[in-house]
Amino acid sequence: MGERAIRAEGLSKKFGLTLRQSMKYGLHDVARKLLGRRNGDDVLRTGEFWAVDDVNFELRSGQALGIMGVNGSGKTTLLRILNGVYAPDRGRVQIRGRVGALIAAGAGFAPMLSGRENVYINGSLLGLTTKEIKGLMDEIVAFSELGDFIDLPVKNYSSGMYVRLGFAVAALSRPDVLLMDEVLAVGDLNFQKKCFDQILQLKRSGTAIVLVSHSPGAIWSVCDRGLFMDHGRAIVEGGVEDVVRAYDDQNSRNAVAADQQFSQAAANSGELQLGASIAEAQAGAKVGTGDVVCTDFRIVRSESEARVDELDFREPFFVEVDVTIMKPIDDFILRVVADAMHYRNIVTLDNYEQGCPIGRIEPGQYRFRIDVTDQNFRPGAYIFNVAVVSRKIGVHLFLWLKCARIVVRNPRRYFLYSDPMAVVFFGATYSHVRLESSS
Amino acid sequence: MPKMVEIVSEPTIKRVEIIRTYEAVGTAQGPLRTLQLAGGELYWSRHVLWHLFVRDFVAGFRQKLLGYLWIVLMPLTGIASFVFMEMTGILNPGSTEIPYPIFVFIGTTVWGTFVAAITTVASGLINNADLVMRTNIPKIGLAVTGLASIAYNLLINLAVLVLLMGLFGRLPSIWAIFYPLAVLPIVVLGAGVGLILSVIGAVARDLTSMLVTLINLVMYITPVVYTAQFSNPWLQLIVRWNPLTYLVDTPRALFVAGRVPSPTGFALSTSLVLFTLWGGIHAFYLIKDKVAERL
Repeated sequence: MGERAIRAEGLSKKFGLTLRQSMKYGLHDVARKLLGRRNGDDVLRTGEFWAVDDVNFELRSGQALGIMGVNGSGKTTLLRILNGVYAPDRGRVQIRGRVGALIAAGAGFAPMLSGRENVYINGSLLGLTTKEIKGLMDEIVAFSELGDFIDLPVKNYSSGMYVRLGFAVAALSRPDVLLMDEVLAVGDLNFQKKCFDQILQLKRSGTAIVLVSHSPGAIWSVCDRGLFMDHGRAIVEGGVEDVVRAYDDQNSRNAVAADQQFSQAAANSGELQLGASIAEAQAGAKVGTGDVVCTDFRIVRSESEARVDELDFREPFFVEVDVTIMKPIDDFILRVVADAMHYRNIVTLDNYEQGCPIGRIEPGQYRFRIDVTDQNFRPGAYIFNVAVVSRKIGVHLFLWLKCARIVVRNPRRYFLYSDPMAVVFFGATYSHVRLESSS
Repeated sequence: MPKMVEIVSEPTIKRVEIIRTYEAVGTAQGPLRTLQLAGGELYWSRHVLWHLFVRDFVAGFRQKLLGYLWIVLMPLTGIASFVFMEMTGILNPGSTEIPYPIFVFIGTTVWGTFVAAITTVASGLINNADLVMRTNIPKIGLAVTGLASIAYNLLINLAVLVLLMGLFGRLPSIWAIFYPLAVLPIVVLGAGVGLILSVIGAVARDLTSMLVTLINLVMYITPVVYTAQFSNPWLQLIVRWNPLTYLVDTPRALFVAGRVPSPTGFALSTSLVLFTLWGGIHAFYLIKDKVAERL
């Protein structure tokens, strides 16, 4: 355990929503400060919100903290407070040692100057003396793999070269605290690997690292601990895996919300539309022949019998469908099809297919229930569609797309990080043997 | 193919024990404390400031046909119009004891330095917004980094001035070596005003241009391009009580004639300058935390 590098206590920062308001409040604050009045920094005025709200954490040297959160959750603002750009409106943060920030690689590069001249500028920005930069120059040139290009004006650099040089200066200056905002996803694969190696080496030699990233892979490989931020608050503070889980769940919820908003317009009527187009159906409208209508579709937790929009990983559930039949239907088939965010029709539930034929159904109101005992969705967002068909008729008697949406949450037991696009989980056991005994 | 690079060298960077604390400050800091802070931060960031100066200086002259010659040409073209107006009789500068081109050259140089000091310091934070947002260089350092180029321009102007004197067959007074010191107060005044503007101007962007317009009007009640000896007693009084009168007149008289026209006026004006600088620094430190989020 190294010595303490960062301690943040109750850090908060507020912003105004509009520029105009920001100017008004700004002038107000300025006047207050100049008059030496105590300022009301710690309360919100109309139109203001907490961009960072009461964040606490401690980081020791040699440790890495990963910060995750969807866009606008306050990550960058927090990093800027740590870097001394914004003064907190509440709370305090203490940072020990020289701080290097890679808040966007290549800050302060002057386009007209050569790479070498820019290294001097950038190095001095990171708190090095001219002599120290001179001593590091060969190393920086070698690491960035720029070779003779180092004497070319940086305006002629490709974006990759730009970033490589910026990273080389920041990483090789060996700061005591390194703040990074989404900079690992740059350069080609070889360079990325080199960056990871360099970062891990910095960690071993005692640099405390704060890494903001949307990439669970980067966070998982570099960080020991994490913060998950939502609306400025640190919702989860703890192990990296917990943070990645929280981030993934939040993303699923946002995906559901976005999809819901998108199809709200068409779906709000709720009435059956006779002979509607497939486009209307895709927007969430109920379409059909008028023989049958589903009035409600819900996912119900098996345990509590309550309608839910989130399920745990592998949690059993019921599908409940309320159906009003207007005309008798022979060989009635109820079919539920689920989509994932990136794939259509990943699973179907069809009573005929699964050996439960229903036969003829007379007019009236019915409630159908499908008991799903061993679902194996991977964590993510899923959308349900329901259809009524008859074996004897080749068309849908009724179709209701996007009738329900659920989020399957990340499990505590597994850390399902390998591929966000994967949708199905297979239980499996793993073993291996070595084939040749010696060489 | 990427080259394989072995990095074995030991870190050659000395470990410095710095502890930074950023916290919500409820009450205002004392005026002496802010001066102390400013001094400490400027010293701490001296390397950065130097490199930023070199950056601005070199970048300003690359890809330009005349390159560094610009520094010499600019002031000369600047006085051409005044000399033309004086020659044709449109402008009557009053009786000057020195050739008019020299008079107006020193006057416009000193005045230009004053306005440049205000605008560069005032726009220092906005121009370096990128660095304010991404690095932890003290903000006061970024605000004053432009002053270095002003000093440099002043030196070049001095060389041009000596040449100009030579053209008129005159030698500068021996006291001319104190010329830079005599110009210093007006630069410091500009910096002090600029510091206040840099923080307030970042919140309300048009403030600086408003003030510069106003300052340009003040030039007409200051002996810059003419002696400002008005017959109207009220105007006379204003010119006498205008501290800028002494800040412009003193360097010129010192350089050419080796005398200070009004030592009392210069001393009083200089005290006012120091007071303004102190006020500027104090205001800057009180407000600077409110600036970053509005850049």
